Amino acid sequence: MTGTHSELPVAARVRQLEERVIAAGLATDAELDDVLARLYDGASPVNGARMVARAWADESYFRRLLADGNAAAGELGLGDPYGLGYRLKAVANTPQQHNLVVCTLCSCYPVSLLGPSPSWYKSLAYRSRAVRKPRAVLAEFGLELPAGTEIAVWDASAETRYLVVPARPAGTGEMPEDDLAALVTQRGLIGTAVV
Amino acid sequence: MSLRPGSRVRARAGDPDHHTRVPRYVRGHVGEVVELEGEWPLPDDRARRIDPPRVEAVYAVRFPAAELWGEGTHTITVDLWESYLLEEPS
Amino acid sequence: MSRVHDIGGQTGFGPVPMAEDGQPFHADWEARVFALNRVLGGRGVFTTDEFRDAIERIPAEEYLAAGYYERWLRALETLLAERGLA
Repeated sequence: MTGTHSELPVAARVRQLEERVIAAGLATDAELDDVLARLYDGASPVNGARMVARAWADESYFRRLLADGNAAAGELGLGDPYGLGYRLKAVANTPQQHNLVVCTLCSCYPVSLLGPSPSWYKSLAYRSRAVRKPRAVLAEFGLELPAGTEIAVWDASAETRYLVVPARPAGTGEMPEDDLAALVTQRGLIGTAVV
Repeated sequence: MSLRPGSRVRARAGDPDHHTRVPRYVRGHVGEVVELEGEWPLPDDRARRIDPPRVEAVYAVRFPAAELWGEGTHTITVDLWESYLLEEPS
Repeated sequence: MSRVHDIGGQTGFGPVPMAEDGQPFHADWEARVFALNRVLGGRGVFTTDEFRDAIERIPAEEYLAAGYYERWLRALETLLAERGLA
């Protein structure tokens, strides 16, 4: 662990690193700006919400989503030009089972479909406790599940990224798909909320 | 190893001296294969710049909370490369 | 290797800090670190596994004290210095 400049304020360290990387020809300003532009423009929980709303509205899409998440994302134009780069697995909430997603080892998460990950998802507190005391963690989010609902926790430790399909709220039978999508939140797609 | 959904497996207890993706909390514990997630390069090799890395099957393996923590009714599903697993007699 | 990052099931980290919700980055430098990681990874300077390994090699006390993107910065500095690249 040499070559660091930890005595400097962190913003100055980043500026220096960026200057050295650009001087070494490893990146350009334009490339760095482009990464952020694409993140801000394209990565949003609206994308995951569209998939959920389509699944609620179309049973055959729901089945395809559960069978092959990547293909189902592609159907809605949500695989980027190079594919997602991971295996997308959708897990559906039912009255019997509630799904909760975590990455205990780092912070694995499908950014383009769920939007930039919230700070709490990356926190040591969430990463450590979600696998051990999920009901208590959900209670901190204000979610009290019925005692009979089993919790399935998914630890994204390899190349699969998870998307939770919340249960469709009652009384939305006539609702158009766009309005259904507007009900779906980022927390709902991770499993720390219901819809 | 020929693992299928329903196969019982034990996560290897050993602690390699390099980067790996088998969380400590499942090591030595028995779970059940839920599904095959395809074949992917082994992180242990890629982190050490071994070229080419081994490419192995990855399995979703479900553990009951009581098996891991001695309590709890939930399940935890962890995604594990084949070389992290041992077949467990059923 | 069981290193400090491997915290599934540990206790003692307190309640989930959900109040800071809402923004992907809390300072411009965090966004720049994110972008550096993506560009350098995309160029093949390192793989995701090498990047994770560099994060996990941060000394335990420093890892726990650092913010998320401070860990990323430390890992980038380490990898580039080790490669003699920048």
